[in-house]
Amino acid sequence: MEALARIAKVAAAAGASAADAKNNAAAGSAGFAYGLAAIGPGIGIGLIFGSAIESMARQPESAGMVRTTMFLGIAFTEALALIGFVVFILLKYA
Amino acid sequence: MMSNVIAFEFPPINELLRWKDVWAAGSLNKVGLIAVASALIGIFVFMSAANKNPKVAPTGTRNLAEVAVEFIEDNIIMQTMGRDGLGWTPFLLTLFVFIYLCNLPGIIPLLQMPATARMAIPMFLAVLVWVIFNFSGIKHQGFFTYFKNVLFPPGVPKALYILVTPIEFISTLIVRPFSMAVRLFANMLAGHLLLVIFALLSEALLQARDKILIPVGILPLFMLLFLTAFEVLVGFLQAYIFTILAAVYIAGATHPEH
Amino acid sequence: MIVHVTTWHGELVQVRVATEEQTDSAASTSEAATSAPNPIAPEPKELLWGAGSFLVFLVLMRLYMFPKIKKGMDARYNGIREDLEQADATRLAAKSDVVAYEAALVGVRAEAAARVDKARQTLDQERTALMADATARNGAKRQAAEAEISAARVAVRDQVAAAVASVTERTAQLAVGKKPDASVVAQAVQQAMQTGGRS
Repeated sequence: MEALARIAKVAAAAGASAADAKNNAAAGSAGFAYGLAAIGPGIGIGLIFGSAIESMARQPESAGMVRTTMFLGIAFTEALALIGFVVFILLKYA
Repeated sequence: MMSNVIAFEFPPINELLRWKDVWAAGSLNKVGLIAVASALIGIFVFMSAANKNPKVAPTGTRNLAEVAVEFIEDNIIMQTMGRDGLGWTPFLLTLFVFIYLCNLPGIIPLLQMPATARMAIPMFLAVLVWVIFNFSGIKHQGFFTYFKNVLFPPGVPKALYILVTPIEFISTLIVRPFSMAVRLFANMLAGHLLLVIFALLSEALLQARDKILIPVGILPLFMLLFLTAFEVLVGFLQAYIFTILAAVYIAGATHPEH
Repeated sequence: MIVHVTTWHGELVQVRVATEEQTDSAASTSEAATSAPNPIAPEPKELLWGAGSFLVFLVLMRLYMFPKIKKGMDARYNGIREDLEQADATRLAAKSDVVAYEAALVGVRAEAAARVDKARQTLDQERTALMADATARNGAKRQAAEAEISAARVAVRDQVAAAVASVTERTAQLAVGKKPDASVVAQAVQQAMQTGGRS
């Protein structure tokens, strides 16, 4: 019973008015948007890591340079996912 | 009765991030305190290192400081800027140490708040790096040459400038500082939120009224431990990436041919 | 108890029946969701404190700590490099010393060998000379001895022949009463001595 009350409290908080309904939709779509934003960078980082490992295995003497460049590539790719994360919070609160 | 888990309430995000002021209203909060403490710790370590006898084999703080200096010189400057960039060591060293010390409290028990998980410090540092790389570009190449190299990159067909110039303008002058700040901030914020989620979940499960749920609480607890170890890596990596990006941007501004 | 009814009736209609307490909490939560400050927006006081502490750190690092640490590191590295160079120089000198010593050793050895050879040659020469001398002397001595022996033999034979001749003469004189011819006796004795003794 108490648990039901809690669920109801959350639901009531979310569905208070029309503005809240918009909020609700924003929260849902924000989560969805973040999920979408994570797909591309995920694949990209995988590709970068794979290529870096391959080239490091092929030429171990250039491992230092490859590692630096790999981190740079990951930083640029990851930025997209992180912007998605920030937009997710922005949509929820702005 | 799984319902008391379903009804698990996540606290509002502002409650996790906005801290009460220590003294008067608007004076200093936990994030500011962590930033000040980071700077003080850095100053203490490097000051005590600077005052040790350099002739003998380095120990303690001196060893720490020399490892940091060599890390910046060998792994960041030599990889991105080459020998010419060694003059930037103090700036990049301060940047790295400060960011790292601001990231660390995210995993230190009782502190549990990375100062970089708030937008203020990453934004300030990114803007500082933006100002510095633009200024050093202007200083090295002259105002017009620098902006000509940035906005009209050589080796591009004339007709493509209509497409390239806006892209370069946005990517160099707007996206760079924004992405730098967001990268650091969002990484630390995401790590902090993950830690909060799993800490709250394991607490809720371990204190559940249903005794059967208590053993289940071990799982988020392990996840919490794993994530804490992961955050150790992330804190270092983000400081490293921020520093190396600053080095790359400065190198690109001072040596346009690269 | 809460009854939360949501119906579609042309447009979204929400009916909420709640107690006083829930209304309060719901109102505060929704208010927090709409009017609370954005969690992403930077707070001025954090910005100020962060910027200030970073800049103080940077200025101290730039002006005092880094130059001092770097100077110490460079001094120590240069010291180590100098030591290494010195060690290298010492090693090189030692190596050249060893080479010179070995060259001298080879020279000395060659000289010694030459001397030994020379000495051996002289010795050989001397020995052969000595041996030749000795052989020659031996030969001479032997010849002298042989000559002496043959002379002695001849002398002895002559004596014997003379003795035998005189004895024969005497004997013949005694037997014949007349002194035989000495030359005939001597010849006969000679003949007998050469054939006799064996027959």
